[in-house]
Amino acid sequence: MTEPTDLTPGAVRRLIAVTDPWLSCDDCFDFLDTVVEDVVARGATMDPRFVVHLNACSVCSEEAASLATLIAPEHGLDPVQAQRALELALATGSQ
Amino acid sequence: MAEIEPVVLSPTVAAGEVARGTTWSTASNEEWLNRLTGMDGPVYDEAVGRLHDLMVRAAWHQVMRMSEASGLGPARRDEVVLSAADEATVSVLARLDVFEGRSRFTTWAYKFAILHAGVEVRRAVWSHREVDLHDVADRTKVGDSPEAYAETRDLARAVQRGIAEALTPHQRRVALALLVDEVPIDVLADRLGTTRNALYKTLHDARKRLRAALAEAGYLPDPRRSNK
Repeated sequence: MTEPTDLTPGAVRRLIAVTDPWLSCDDCFDFLDTVVEDVVARGATMDPRFVVHLNACSVCSEEAASLATLIAPEHGLDPVQAQRALELALATGSQ
Repeated sequence: MAEIEPVVLSPTVAAGEVARGTTWSTASNEEWLNRLTGMDGPVYDEAVGRLHDLMVRAAWHQVMRMSEASGLGPARRDEVVLSAADEATVSVLARLDVFEGRSRFTTWAYKFAILHAGVEVRRAVWSHREVDLHDVADRTKVGDSPEAYAETRDLARAVQRGIAEALTPHQRRVALALLVDEVPIDVLADRLGTTRNALYKTLHDARKRLRAALAEAGYLPDPRRSNK
C-alpha cells in the first residue's frame, strides 16, 4: 500500500472555504443578472451572500464572469474592464 | 440605448443570423415582453427568432470562453451552441412571467444561454470519462510549488483527518469529487441523479463540519470565540 500524500494547497483552500452567509445555486442564478448588471453598469458593491457564493462555487462564478464580459459593451466597457469590475466587487465584498 | 457589438460566430452558427438579417439594436424590456407574450403571428415569430439569435450569441460567447471546449472540434461546438440556444430559448419563454425587470431583458435572457452552454460543454467533455467517488483524500496533483506544499502540509494532513473522521460517507465522496478531483458540479449531479443545488448544500454542510473539526484541533480560529 502506498503512503497517502498531502492534498494540494488549492484543494485545502477549497475544502475549508467559508460558505456562510448561505446562498444556494438556484438563488444565485435567480439574481445573477441583477447583481452582474449592477456591478458592470454602476460599479455597485455586491451583497455578501453573493460574494461568498461566487468565491466558493466555481461554476456559478464562471457564469457570472461570462455574463459580465458579454454585457460589457452595452455599458461602455470592454470585457477586460468588466471582468476587473467583477473581481473588484468580489475582493471588496470579501474584506 | 447602446447597440451591442456583434461577435464573430462560426460559419454554421452565423448562417442562421445572416438569413434572419439580424441587427443587435436593443429593444426595451417592455417591447420584448409585449412581443413575446402577444398573439401568435409575424410579430411573435420575429421576436422569438430574435430571442433565439441572442441565445446563440450568448451560448457561443460561453463556449468560446471554455478552454475545455477546444477539444470538441468545430462541428461539435456548433452543435453544443445551437442545442444550448434552443434550450435557453425554451427556458426564457417558459419564465417570462417571473421576469421582474430588475435588469435588462437581454441580460436576464443571456444567463439562461450561458447556463445551458456551460452545462452542455461540461457534459460533452466528460461524456466518456469515469467519475470515481473516493473515500480517502490521498491524491496528489501537479501545479502547486514544493514551497506551497511545505507551508500547508500540516493543515493538509489535519484536513485529511477531518475528512475521514468528521464527514459522512456521502459528504466525503461529494467533497472529494468536487473539490479535490474537480469534477464539475453539474456533471456529478448528472451522474448521481441529483441537482447542482443539492450538491452545493452537501458541500456547504461538509465544509462547516470540516471547519469545526479543524477549529477544535486548533488549526483554524474557533468561530464561537472570534464572534465574541
